[in-house]
Amino acid sequence: MLGRGLKRKLSDYEENMAGLSSAFDSSRSLPYPLKRQLVLNMCLTKLQTYKMLVEPNLHRSVLIANTVRQIQEEMRQESNQQPVNICPGIASSSHSYTGMESSAISLQLPSGISQQESNCCDLRSVEDPIENSLLIVSDDDMSSAISSILKDLDFVEDISPPTCLVPTGDDQPKFPENAGLKLEDDRQDLKGAECVFGSFEISNSTSYLKDLAIDDIFEDIDTSMYDSDFCCPPLMPPRSPSLATEEPLKNFPSCNSSSASNIQICRTDLSELDHIMEILVGS
Amino acid sequence: AGGGNDIQWCFSQVKGAVDDDVAEADIISTVEFNHSGELLATGDKGGRVVIFQQEQENKTQSHSRGEYNVYSTFQSHEPEFDYLKSLEIEEKINKIRWLPQKNAAQFLLSTNDKTIKLWKISERDKRPEGYNLKEEDGRYRDPTTVTTLRVPVFRPMDLMVEASPRRIFANAHTYHINSISINSDYETYLSADDLRINLWHLEITDRSFNIVDIKPANMEELTEVITAAEFHPNSCSTFVYSSSKGTIRLCDMRASALCDRHSKLFEEPEDPSNRSFFSEIISSISDVKFSHSGRYMMTRDYLSVKIWDLNMENRPVETYQVHEYLRSKLCSLYENDCIFDKFECCWNGLDRQVQLFSLIVMTGSYNNFFRMFDRNTKRDITLEASRENNKPRTVLKPRKVCASGKRKKDEISVDSLDFNKKILHTAWHPKENIIAVATTNNLYIFQDKMN
Repeated sequence: MLGRGLKRKLSDYEENMAGLSSAFDSSRSLPYPLKRQLVLNMCLTKLQTYKMLVEPNLHRSVLIANTVRQIQEEMRQESNQQPVNICPGIASSSHSYTGMESSAISLQLPSGISQQESNCCDLRSVEDPIENSLLIVSDDDMSSAISSILKDLDFVEDISPPTCLVPTGDDQPKFPENAGLKLEDDRQDLKGAECVFGSFEISNSTSYLKDLAIDDIFEDIDTSMYDSDFCCPPLMPPRSPSLATEEPLKNFPSCNSSSASNIQICRTDLSELDHIMEILVGS
Repeated sequence: AGGGNDIQWCFSQVKGAVDDDVAEADIISTVEFNHSGELLATGDKGGRVVIFQQEQENKTQSHSRGEYNVYSTFQSHEPEFDYLKSLEIEEKINKIRWLPQKNAAQFLLSTNDKTIKLWKISERDKRPEGYNLKEEDGRYRDPTTVTTLRVPVFRPMDLMVEASPRRIFANAHTYHINSISINSDYETYLSADDLRINLWHLEITDRSFNIVDIKPANMEELTEVITAAEFHPNSCSTFVYSSSKGTIRLCDMRASALCDRHSKLFEEPEDPSNRSFFSEIISSISDVKFSHSGRYMMTRDYLSVKIWDLNMENRPVETYQVHEYLRSKLCSLYENDCIFDKFECCWNGLDRQVQLFSLIVMTGSYNNFFRMFDRNTKRDITLEASRENNKPRTVLKPRKVCASGKRKKDEISVDSLDFNKKILHTAWHPKENIIAVATTNNLYIFQDKMN
């Protein structure tokens, strides 16, 4: 329940805004920066109000945001130029815009404002109460107000698929399936993402390498002679020796195990191997 | 009309509640004649569609055309709640579009913010009687009591008009639908929301093509939205859409599947002398309508109606000021949000005298005023939809708004205009000089004075 005092203040605010707008419309003597400030404040008030709605009107929000940007740009250009002798009283104050707090301001509009002469200095008595009520807004506040409004509008879960996982360009129709829920689209997105990165994997060309164990690769290469003196037993029984040497080869133990007890056997094997080699080479 | 004699408009009928207290659900949100003009449909904020039918012309009473009486009323859309987003979906009917009649039944498309529905409206004026196994009230007879057989026959009954939903086109729009337009192939139609336009086939509800998408990757970069869209009346691959920046883009669906690049861009350079803080807001186009031939199109922005020649993109060929006196009131209208009101516009129907279409433009304004512009004579007129002009066959008195200075007798000053009484929706009978004008919750029908 609104307290009576607060309600009166709000309706005062509305009346004063209406009064200010009609002053804007009817008075030729309001200086331009003041008019601009008034419009800016109205824009920001509206944006703040929309922000409190569950579903702000996108069309209106965009139009108001554009107006704010336009004013912002204009003010930025002005401040970049040489300082213009603007009317005293419209100095940039340290106030920052605080949105709904402005509703607590009480205005005292001088009654004769629409009849004022278009002379800046004469308006000083008029400006001050107005200027006190119009809060000067910083650039950052404006930008953040716009950004947050538009970002909030994006909260609306989008049911159409995002543009281009595959480069659609101009020749592929977009099929927004009426899945309805973003969950499904997320799944599709993930699948799509996988597809995109799937093409970068080398799995297709080199899969046979992955499938084989290291042992299998070197199956037919006997590196026992090049192994260390401590001798790892050859990984596999060598297959290359000719028939003439088969008999002594049979005496070789199975080379599968690599236990330490095989070291003795290895040494014996090696000397006999040397012997066989001598025979083979015919030395 | 175009021939030289201006039309003299007379009050014919008014539909709707009399009291000033307007029920929210009764607010009229769209008005549309069907292709023959025999039926007039309205949609309201409560999701209802009311269809009026014109009486057969009484040949003896040649001084008035048939009156429109209620033909069918049905609930087209219900309020919905989107549980995922915690949002209410309004049941308000945004647009109604009729399909051309192919058989005894009538078909129309109606849409709210999210869902389009195809409705079949059919008449039943006969019913079968004389069944053998059933009594007239439906109870089954004891088969053993049947001694003779007869053939059931159709007998007349009181006319019953039934509306049934034949197709529901849902889940294709994230943003609010503002337009639907039926293609000249009568098989497809488009639906447009703030950022996207989809193409549908009337028979297929689970799929639609996205043909325009202006949503930026980063919503913070959004500066423009789609405000209206319409298919070309003769070329089934051409459509236009208007934007909040006052531009119209013409697209050809044969050029690419996604029509993000326009074929033509219609935009008038801004008049620097009229520049204000509100220039962009008032340039936002609220309605776009092709002329009957498709050679021209008409757009409505806040203060004016513009006629464009499709062959000239850099400026309109004609501009008509609807209520220029509001230009000095823009700040107040911005403060009370009236500056965002979306006025529609429409062309006249067939002009019998000249056998030409698209010569007169009609659009609404405030204080229950509506305006007409004759393209040939360059004359314009302001009329008022009010119950005070209730006498049929009495010609409506033209109204005038006094912008400034001394107010003459019978003129109204700008400051006394009632901005809560706005005429946003108007429609013109396709073949007669009969117009339907919607105030907030009443529908007025005016005819031209015959003989």
